[in-house]
Amino acid sequence: MTSEVLRILILAMQLGFLGLLYLLLFGFARSLLRDLRSAELTQMASQSGIGRLAVIESIGDEPALGTAIALGPINSIGRNVNSTIFIDDDFVSGSHAMLTFRGRSWFIEDQGSTNGTYVNGHLIDRPVALSFGDELTIGRVRMRLER
Amino acid sequence: MIATNIRRLSLYLVLGFASVSGALAWWQVLDAHALATRQDNPQVIAARRSLPRGSIFDAQGRLLASSTVLDGISRRTYADPAFTHLIGYASLRFGATGLERTWDDLLTGRSDPNPLRDLLNDILARQPDPHDLTLTIDRRLEDFAAAQLGHNVGAVVAIDPRTGAILAMVSSPTYDPTGFSGDPATATGPFDAVAGAAGNPFLDRVRQGHYTPGSILKVLTAAGALDAGAITPQTTFPDQPKQEVDGFVVQGFTIREHDLQPVKPALWALSPALQVSSNIFFAHVGLGLGPDRYLDYARRFGFCAPLQIGSDPGALPVDPSYVSGQSDGGCAPFSDNVELASAAFGQARVSVTPLQMALLAATIANDGAVPGPFIVRDLRTHAAAPQGGPTAIVLEIYGGEGARPAISSQAAREVRSAMIDAVQGPIGRLYAGAGAVARFGVSGIETAGKTGTAERGPGLKPHSWFIGFAPAQDGATPSIAIAVIVEGGGTGSGHAAPIGGAVMAEWLKLAAGG
Amino acid sequence: MHAVPRPVELRLLLPLAILVPLGFAVTHIAQTGRLEAGPMGVAIGYVGLMLAAHVALRLLGNRGDQLLLPAVAAIGGVGIVMLHRLPQDLLGTDAFGVRLGMATTQLLWFAVGVTAMVVVADRFRDDGPLRHFKYTWALAGTLLLVITFLFGREVNGARLWIFVGPIGFQPGEAIKIVLVIFIAGYLAEKRALLAGASARIGPLRIPPLPYLLPMIAIFVLVMGIVVISRDLGTALLFLGIFLTMLFVATGRRSYVLLGLLLFVAGSFVAYNLFGHVRIRVDNWIDPFVDPSGRGYQTVQALYAFGRGGLFGEGLGQGLPTIGGHLPIPALPTDFIFAAVAEELGLIGAFALLALVMVFVFRGLRTAMLARDDFSAMLAVGLTASLGLQTLIIVAGNVKLVPLTGITFPFVSYGGSSLLACFVVVGLLLAISHRSSVDAQVEGRGP
Repeated sequence: MTSEVLRILILAMQLGFLGLLYLLLFGFARSLLRDLRSAELTQMASQSGIGRLAVIESIGDEPALGTAIALGPINSIGRNVNSTIFIDDDFVSGSHAMLTFRGRSWFIEDQGSTNGTYVNGHLIDRPVALSFGDELTIGRVRMRLER
Repeated sequence: MIATNIRRLSLYLVLGFASVSGALAWWQVLDAHALATRQDNPQVIAARRSLPRGSIFDAQGRLLASSTVLDGISRRTYADPAFTHLIGYASLRFGATGLERTWDDLLTGRSDPNPLRDLLNDILARQPDPHDLTLTIDRRLEDFAAAQLGHNVGAVVAIDPRTGAILAMVSSPTYDPTGFSGDPATATGPFDAVAGAAGNPFLDRVRQGHYTPGSILKVLTAAGALDAGAITPQTTFPDQPKQEVDGFVVQGFTIREHDLQPVKPALWALSPALQVSSNIFFAHVGLGLGPDRYLDYARRFGFCAPLQIGSDPGALPVDPSYVSGQSDGGCAPFSDNVELASAAFGQARVSVTPLQMALLAATIANDGAVPGPFIVRDLRTHAAAPQGGPTAIVLEIYGGEGARPAISSQAAREVRSAMIDAVQGPIGRLYAGAGAVARFGVSGIETAGKTGTAERGPGLKPHSWFIGFAPAQDGATPSIAIAVIVEGGGTGSGHAAPIGGAVMAEWLKLAAGG
Repeated sequence: MHAVPRPVELRLLLPLAILVPLGFAVTHIAQTGRLEAGPMGVAIGYVGLMLAAHVALRLLGNRGDQLLLPAVAAIGGVGIVMLHRLPQDLLGTDAFGVRLGMATTQLLWFAVGVTAMVVVADRFRDDGPLRHFKYTWALAGTLLLVITFLFGREVNGARLWIFVGPIGFQPGEAIKIVLVIFIAGYLAEKRALLAGASARIGPLRIPPLPYLLPMIAIFVLVMGIVVISRDLGTALLFLGIFLTMLFVATGRRSYVLLGLLLFVAGSFVAYNLFGHVRIRVDNWIDPFVDPSGRGYQTVQALYAFGRGGLFGEGLGQGLPTIGGHLPIPALPTDFIFAAVAEELGLIGAFALLALVMVFVFRGLRTAMLARDDFSAMLAVGLTASLGLQTLIIVAGNVKLVPLTGITFPFVSYGGSSLLACFVVVGLLLAISHRSSVDAQVEGRGP
């Protein structure tokens, strides 16, 4: 009879194991759902922009290191104060480059600047398609294209 | 854009996980039972190897099969070779056959007849309790039938037409499986000896023998035609006497009568035609019934499909019988009228099992309803000392599946009357009188029956057949129906009929003696 | 590097403190019939290890995904319970004169793996070293593969092992990660080009080959060596990872179909060329042809599934031995899932697969939240590597595809596999840390 008690105890422990496993799954499911909702919110917030430029190297406050510049579909870059992206640096031409979003991708085109535009360290001589994560060097400012 | 692609990717991955989950569910739930009962499943082998196994008893509680566990190996002992084919064997080396196979789970206790207990045993991982089986067969009748067959190759099967209970089921030659049902290390020798013996002893002729029936199939032809109204017991065919001399031409093929010897051709109706076993008369009857109705009646009697003895769990499979060619496991349409006319007197492509023929006799005896055959009467708790007989605790009682009507009781009575004449009538006595129980010391009881002589082609001695039942007189309820075949035994009257009569008489005496 | 709280991670890790010791206790009681807890060292060690990893991530200020570690710890927890439940002398190591049992050895590898995970999660917060030296990584990986091929030791018909003293290692596991890094770097760089241009042959869109050539060349080289080493499971896995990443980068289903078509053609050739491939495929089509010979393991696995049923035989009560041996020799590695399915039943097996799916979802979420293409592609590739690996081995176990000898991540016995899996988790933690830090900066921004 004791063995019968033992069998029932074993069964209870086995069921406990499975139950705990499913309790854990339930916990995961709850966290997943909660995150899904907050992810939708952040996505809605970030969907307003089509990308941004994170400043990873700069010499002054325009632009400031560690900031991110929100982008519109057409952005002029230069030392001209009317530029969409104003860079206060002597090595940058007045109208230096154009950063445009066409269809699915970003493109950068040099506007005949004196010191040129670099993508991932390479000087460009024609419009170049950019991927998120690519680095632009204009004058002494280095920026990364991000989502 | 990448985000969209990732979302699509996650959908594909979910589909992947869903399909492996589906396959998993298939093996774990839907196909689990089929897997669990495969003979090469190590669990089946392990259970057979080390677990105690239930005993098998005859209808009076005589021990037929029992096991002892010695050195961790279960050894099986069989008491009577007359039962070998139906009980089968449970060998650690060669798998299991017969009832040992189909009742494996219940004999070893791996499953329990009570679903709740079964579930509890399963989820609590209890050691299984074996169960014992009691058969419907009386060992005295089984041994008597086996002795009657003697060294002949053949089979005897007897059924209680009222219930479908199998009363005797013998296939000859037989063998003793005890030698290879113990220690697997010493099993090969005895097994190979049986496998190499003459006459294919492993074959259960009752369930797996395929024979041409010859004249005994005329009972089916008559039963169908009477029920359909194609003939009455008084119907005659005008050209008969002339045809008996010249032969009856069907589509250019001549059907001839067998040797009628002392009998002069005449204008026969059903009873005399069955007594002389006229091929031409039954060819006419078959043609009158027509190919579609003929197949329909054959199916009603159980032909053209696999049969089984008992119902699940533990049903013993029986090979199908055919009245025409085989197609998709059933009967193909008759190719022409020649085939139909020949089948109507039991030749052409007809192929039957002795069990099906016993069912044919039992159906006529049972007022036209086919009884569901069964062989295991009950399941009991395991008796620790099986020599003392089974325990009194019966867990389950089994019966046959209910009888299915095949023909009207009116038609059945008319066939019965003709079958009585075929054994005891003025002419029938000459052919089948050896099948009458009165010959074997049972007086005042009439016997119905039919002999058959199945031609096998030139140079081969025909198979000798007999089907019958008793008591058959008006107002009596038959308590035994029988089919007997003796391979190469010659005429039905010569070999099979006396065995049939003796076995039926023995049963009537045993039943009267209690 | 300020410590950050990781409350969700802690909350989901704590149930393991009961789950794993409970599993150890019930297997001990069921197997011995004695009402006592039995040896608990490995269980306590395992739970302690996972909590230590949590504390380490906290102290190092990792803001990465908080569901990845608990999911992995739960999968591994089921695994260590199963390995502890099997006969301990089945596998194991003789290291430095000490004979270690299977579960103990696996726990040590868990310790190595978790340490590697924490280090990788911390060191690779900046993706520069990975992204800029992708060709170096690819070269190193290929070299390792060649070394293995030339000097490795053959185990079970496949040359996959390098032995340093008593400790064996499968470089194939490391190459998997290196290959993912390379492909991610390459695709991130060329993505704009790939998605735009394409040639057409009839209705089929053909990838712009010149752009893809360097990547395909390295991929084919790796695949070639893997196939010659007879490591078919890994070859299939590599192809799956490659096609998945190509699909995510370009969004072209036709590329994947083209790849699969090539694979089917290749398989057909392999079937006719290599005996061992033919055996595997024939076994897959009908293992019951030779159930005691070539089809033996597959058939025994199917029987294990059948015995398990819906609710399982119960922990510690399944897996009957025949003459003292387990029916499936490769149970702790290739067929660990069959063991889980037998003892925990269909519902337990579903739970395990669901945990893997939680991990996969979080990995893909990490990819979606990544700020740049390289990180996104890397996260996709790493996640797919573990997700596909699970799918392939489980599908092989349930006879949906031919069986290939790869491991069930975090569950199967095996050090190299475990270490590689934890490095993958570490990289995912690093990527998701980066994007969540960026998001916070943006939130506080000017």
